Amino acid sequence: MIPQAGGGRWKAAGALLLAVLALLLAAAPFLLTGFWVRLLTYIFMFSVLSSALNIIAGFTGYAAFGNMVFFGLGAYTTAVLMSKARLGFVPAFLGSALVAGITAVLLGLLLLRLKGHYFALGTLGAAEAVKYLIENLTGLTGGGQGLTVPPLRGRPATVNTFFYFLMLLLLVVILLVVWRLSRNRLGYALKAIRANEEAAGVMGIDTTRYKITAWVLSALFTGVTGSIYAYWFTYIDAPTVFDVMWVVKMFVIILIGGAGTVFGPVIGAFILETISELVWSRFLNLHLGILGLIIILVVLFMPRGIISLVTQGKSLLSLAHRRRPPGRQPQGRPRGEDGQ
Amino acid sequence: MLPQAIVNGLLFGSVYATIGIGFSLVWGVMNIINVAHGSFIMIGAYLSYTLFALYGLDPFLSIPPVMAVLFLLAYAIQKYVLNRVVRGSVFITLTFTFGLQILIANLCLLLWSADSRSIKLPYSSAGWQIGGLVIPLVRLGIFGVALLLTGLFYLFMRRTRTGVAINATALNFEGAKTVGIDVYNIYAITFGVSAALAGAAGCLISPIMSINPFGGGPLVAKAFVIAILGGLGSTVGALVGGLALGLVETVGTVFISSSFQELLGFTVLVLVLVFRPQGLMGKRFYE
Repeated sequence: MIPQAGGGRWKAAGALLLAVLALLLAAAPFLLTGFWVRLLTYIFMFSVLSSALNIIAGFTGYAAFGNMVFFGLGAYTTAVLMSKARLGFVPAFLGSALVAGITAVLLGLLLLRLKGHYFALGTLGAAEAVKYLIENLTGLTGGGQGLTVPPLRGRPATVNTFFYFLMLLLLVVILLVVWRLSRNRLGYALKAIRANEEAAGVMGIDTTRYKITAWVLSALFTGVTGSIYAYWFTYIDAPTVFDVMWVVKMFVIILIGGAGTVFGPVIGAFILETISELVWSRFLNLHLGILGLIIILVVLFMPRGIISLVTQGKSLLSLAHRRRPPGRQPQGRPRGEDGQ
Repeated sequence: MLPQAIVNGLLFGSVYATIGIGFSLVWGVMNIINVAHGSFIMIGAYLSYTLFALYGLDPFLSIPPVMAVLFLLAYAIQKYVLNRVVRGSVFITLTFTFGLQILIANLCLLLWSADSRSIKLPYSSAGWQIGGLVIPLVRLGIFGVALLLTGLFYLFMRRTRTGVAINATALNFEGAKTVGIDVYNIYAITFGVSAALAGAAGCLISPIMSINPFGGGPLVAKAFVIAILGGLGSTVGALVGGLALGLVETVGTVFISSSFQELLGFTVLVLVLVFRPQGLMGKRFYE
């Protein structure tokens, strides 16, 4: 997990830094108050969700604006299995992964042939359709009333600590997966698809298979995060767990941190969630407006993310004036994303 | 009940057409899905409400000033902000308009509070009865104005130099630049015209719908369906698409329970995207 270092000294420094960070993260729930532990858990959750979205959107170049469908299905699967079937959390968690994965395969076969806006809105439409389907299956899902999940028993501090470490573990796992992805065959194939799908196909890359694999990976992590969310919050309803604004937030997080990078989403999640927490507590009536402003500023000034400032040594100013090279394609039919 | 539903659907569908035309124009010309289109509609509705509440100005008469305000606002946004990222990926532009949408919604919330606003016109209950059918005067007026705007827009795109330049820019960005069109200015005008139409639609819905800061969202979803059904940038397509959507919605309530309507709507949307992304009319915007 250490960025490629030049010499042994850098490597040692990196290892030391990592050890200190691990120690701090391990000690945090025992040193901080419940509020901060929950906030950190929340930040980990958004880091995982954004990293998962990063696999399909950042690496592969498919703007899956409907990714909350997997979160919602994961949350509902766990809630139904635990409250109606009286199963424990572990089987419910696995059930959520299964449901999210299968849904990703089916939706992928249907939607991954679309490109650009058409894919983005196709996934959004599918997510909304699933949301209304869940709301209408009143017998199973409680409809508009939502579902209550049997809570984890124990002292509040213990419960907080449990979810803190569970989410942290999930974050470490997805970072390892994405890190592997950034340098293995699958990862290169995905980047090739993002750069030029036709060319990748001609080069012998089975684009459909790789795209679906990427989306399934993304869906698995999003689905199990939904599962943990349901168990953590003990109450879910469709408007919350299928909320499109969450995906928008994830995209902003990815943009802040850097799309297609390993640690970008984590950095982005820490920055955005810390800002929104500070804003939430002080300017309640300006919360959304400030979020909107952040989104606009990020898109304008940091479309490649904070990481690019370090890795490419570009100034904010030069990024702001970066214009895309010419090469307009005919309109009126689906077209691929330019390699962003 | 069914004939009445058909009349209501067609009358209100004209507003959908006005909304859809502007949305479809921006999409067709700049390849931007403008999620903030609904916010422009709500600004129009709020301005119409304010003019009515303060000066008693009829919403139909507030259309020209509201269109002018929204044109200038959107022109400035495109010219000074959006043009910087307009050639970026879907990822960038879609996220940008989401940000714009929540920013505008929050500003509306601050200016007009979260309370729903509505306009009660003195002639709101006037209308004609033909056989068993009721045709309310307000809705007929809305229908007439919406059709007039659609017609004017059609002429603008066909008969004016600016309209032709917009078409040219949409067809071939580089080509348009080569023949001396200031393409980024054309983008700004396009965004302005689209927002002006949204503002007009806002005025039109103000006497018959309640106005709240987040009311634009569902309307954008509809604009999207219209743009897809009618074909990008096609005025006639958007008109037919809008009327059809109004019709399907009202007639749908007669046959399908309202809780399943959204489910059905989004399912149809996904299927159309997958199987007929070129739209049901199968026309491109320059036809």
